[in-house]
Amino acid sequence: MTGFDPLAILRTLNEHEVRYVAIGGLAATLYGSPLTTGDLDICPAADSGNLERLAAALQALDAAIYTDRDPNGVPFVPDADFLGNAEVWNLVTRAGRLDVNFTPAGTGGYPDLVRDAVRFELDELEIPCASLRDVIRSKEAAGRERDRRALPTLRRLLAALEEQERSE
Amino acid sequence: MDGGTLIREARLRAGLSQQALAARLGTYQSVVARWETGASKPTMATVRRAVRAAGFDLSVSLTPIDDDHDRLIGDSLRRSPTERIEDLVARLELEERLHEAVLVP
Repeated sequence: MTGFDPLAILRTLNEHEVRYVAIGGLAATLYGSPLTTGDLDICPAADSGNLERLAAALQALDAAIYTDRDPNGVPFVPDADFLGNAEVWNLVTRAGRLDVNFTPAGTGGYPDLVRDAVRFELDELEIPCASLRDVIRSKEAAGRERDRRALPTLRRLLAALEEQERSE
Repeated sequence: MDGGTLIREARLRAGLSQQALAARLGTYQSVVARWETGASKPTMATVRRAVRAAGFDLSVSLTPIDDDHDRLIGDSLRRSPTERIEDLVARLELEERLHEAVLVP
């Protein structure tokens, strides 16, 4: 078992009323990407109230800091001030890997991504999700090898969805 | 993605209003609006000029078609978002089991 349960992480974020959008590979999966991803990426709003709620959610998820040397995570106590001190948090939780990125590459962060975000509903769980175009934009800007490999598939997916939309 | 969408994306990324981009291009806000809404179709040269006016370069590349992408995408689009997540988790579990497999001498 991988222990990766993205819906459990998302449910916890929602229960704590965190304002965020899902981005990255898991967001692409929701749109229909057949690519495999082993973590959940989110971009939260960076205001202090939201950081408080995010910190509470991360505590409920037993979040620890992920490092290559210690995949089980380095324990930390998330609090709003601490979270606000970094742009990216690579975490491991009791439901699997979670990357928190306040300004994903090529974007202006939450206010930018929420503009075109959509909501998926899964078993009464609402998931705010960056638009597929924004997911692609961020991967293009990040330019990491794994992002570059994913781009042809994601662009084809976007074209297929646009075609589907036109024919409806 | 069409040319108007590219122009809109470049403009928004640059934090420009339609009016501001139009001014940089020496044209009217209504022209930019028509490109962005698809009411008129800008040429490739116009898209490049508009994108550059927003501070970006347009990079176009050719990639060989891989039919496998279409088959996998088609399969995935026939599933609900819930089934897509379940499928992802199942694939990860299978990968993990395969990694744990031991070669029998």
